[in-house]
Amino acid sequence: MNDALEIEDVWKKFPMRRDRPGFKEFLLNLPKFVNRNYNSNFWALKGVSFKVKQGECLGIIGKNGAGKSTLLSLILGAIYPTKGEIKVSQKITPLLDIGAGFHPDLTGRENILINGVLLGLTKDEVLKRIEEIIAFSEIKEFIDMPVRTYSSGMYLRLAFSVAIHTNPRVLLIDEILAVGDEAFQKKSKDALLNLINGGVTTLFVSHQMSAVKEICNRAIWLDGGEIRGEGEPERVVEEYLRCPG
Amino acid sequence: MGMNDREFRRKKDLLFLLTKKEITLKYKRTVLGIFWSLLNPILLAIVLFIAFKVFMRIKMENYTFFFLSALFPWNWFSASVTMSTGTLIGNVNLIKKIRFPRHFLVLATILGQFVNFIFALPIIIGFSYFSGKGPGVNWLITIPILIVAQFIVTAGICLAISMVNAYFRDMEYIIGVVISLLFWMTPIVYPLKIIPETYQIYLVLNPLTYLITAWREIFMSNYIDWRSIGICYGSSLVFLLLGILVFQRLGKRLDEVI
Repeated sequence: MNDALEIEDVWKKFPMRRDRPGFKEFLLNLPKFVNRNYNSNFWALKGVSFKVKQGECLGIIGKNGAGKSTLLSLILGAIYPTKGEIKVSQKITPLLDIGAGFHPDLTGRENILINGVLLGLTKDEVLKRIEEIIAFSEIKEFIDMPVRTYSSGMYLRLAFSVAIHTNPRVLLIDEILAVGDEAFQKKSKDALLNLINGGVTTLFVSHQMSAVKEICNRAIWLDGGEIRGEGEPERVVEEYLRCPG
Repeated sequence: MGMNDREFRRKKDLLFLLTKKEITLKYKRTVLGIFWSLLNPILLAIVLFIAFKVFMRIKMENYTFFFLSALFPWNWFSASVTMSTGTLIGNVNLIKKIRFPRHFLVLATILGQFVNFIFALPIIIGFSYFSGKGPGVNWLITIPILIVAQFIVTAGICLAISMVNAYFRDMEYIIGVVISLLFWMTPIVYPLKIIPETYQIYLVLNPLTYLITAWREIFMSNYIDWRSIGICYGSSLVFLLLGILVFQRLGKRLDEVI
């Protein structure tokens, strides 16, 4: 089987900016500002490498701030690694902050269109599926109202529905199995499982260990920007849970 | 090949939808909606006509037309530049969470403002008709050529500004001042020829000088000013290259600063 993803020794740093000082302070400390050491850096990822095979579902676990979300953003290509290389062979569909592309003043329908295209479809393709998307989201009667009038549940349901209807090849999921009410949660989980079982390569970041054990066929444990464990989900989850602090 | 074709169509759709979003959002929650794009220039023309005829009594013949023929293209430029400062920093969510060509956001800003320019053209046509010199066939040749030239130069400047402003937010305020300086440095309220010959060479540095001059020549005299068009294509391309360079260079670390 081919590799859908190849991550090779990836490092990512973020500058830790203090809040901008006032102008007076700026002038007084001018030499310090010219000196680049003023801003220190935070390394979110420190040399992470792994491969993901076509059709595999990889779980990524770890504490808050371990670098999981940064890793997904890097794979998505929305941000660039400081060092290292990420090879992607197929179209990637993010389920990260679903609804990131939504604008509150546009109607549901307008948002479906623009997000469908942002996520990789052509306009015609979105139009062909739009009824299906609306039906799945269960907000038919509000679809021509601006999404700022939606409840947060309605908003997420619509965003989720758009994302899974865009023909994903590689799915990036960041803890979103909890969308909407009980019934919709089940429906969205089924839809995702359908995609995963249908051979879509999936990267699944979650704090729900049961979900990771259930869905994934491999897991990675990130800790402080480094890989600390890798392999069978059962075993990696156990190691992670046993680790103190 | 088929894949590339589809990807091209998708990009085209994306640019179209982002532009449409820009326009829709502009007039969302207003009663008159997009009609404002037409109403605005009409009202502006009336105000200026009264100002120049009644209050200032400018001696120059047809001064309102003279002014508007430069002001409408200028407004497209200045509104695009001013708005582009907020284009990237106002779309943090899109940039950080979705992968797409980010320069489309800037291009959509410019295209959104372009619609206003199109809606102002009927007024120019009206003035031209009453002045007895146009509009003529030359318009059909020149207007598209100049639209492309102006789009290129505006894109170059807006790409650079939108990106620099993400790193250095003071840019927004600097641009405000520079735009008003540029307004007076460009022959908009006065004709190019009142500038002494010896200084005219420096005007090439202002990419708008010859652009505005060419617009005015076609609108007021139905004359294709090939010399000005040539010069503004030259400088437009330089600005576009610089803009792309800045946008790509700084774009790699954009996510860290917004």
